[in-house]
Amino acid sequence: MFGAFKPTNALSGGLLWKIPWRLSKFQKQRQRRRLRAVDTVVSVIDQALAKKGITTKAVERWKDEMPIEQEMLPKDKYTIFDRKEKKYRKGIHKLPKWTRLSQRLNPPGY
Amino acid sequence: MRSGIGLPKRTQGVLKALGLRKRMKTVFYPVTPEVAGQIMKVKELVAVREVEKALSKEELKEERRPDAGYYLESAAPR
Repeated sequence: MFGAFKPTNALSGGLLWKIPWRLSKFQKQRQRRRLRAVDTVVSVIDQALAKKGITTKAVERWKDEMPIEQEMLPKDKYTIFDRKEKKYRKGIHKLPKWTRLSQRLNPPGY
Repeated sequence: MRSGIGLPKRTQGVLKALGLRKRMKTVFYPVTPEVAGQIMKVKELVAVREVEKALSKEELKEERRPDAGYYLESAAPR
């Protein structure tokens, strides 16, 4: 009942993961850094290509469609749209592999 | 910089095609649209820098070497 073997939910129920519903401030900071890292990669490629006078579809499309980190709303940085969720939003950390994916845009209006 | 484990096979394939077989590996490529497109595929996993010429292995190692934290003064002649 007490001590190291007290029957907590995780011990008695087997598989129970506790994922907080929102990001901590440190997770949010790291998320912003990752977003900025991707922005720098794109800008470096863009500048290198511009020096040679080349344009590439992938880079142009990214620049047209995707906001940079500073332009994004906090809502879009830390949460994503989910139609099954109350108020249609859930934390971005619920997205599998979320630290290695670009998920910047959400449906307009949500 | 970051590993492609668990990502789609296509993403892992792009990493492999770029010669990035392990984390923290450095490769050099000329600035071409083809390479740019490949990097765009894996932009979340890599860091990119433009250099004048490809660095040798020794130069890369020298770049990674941390600051020694001390310096040697030459002994004053007696």
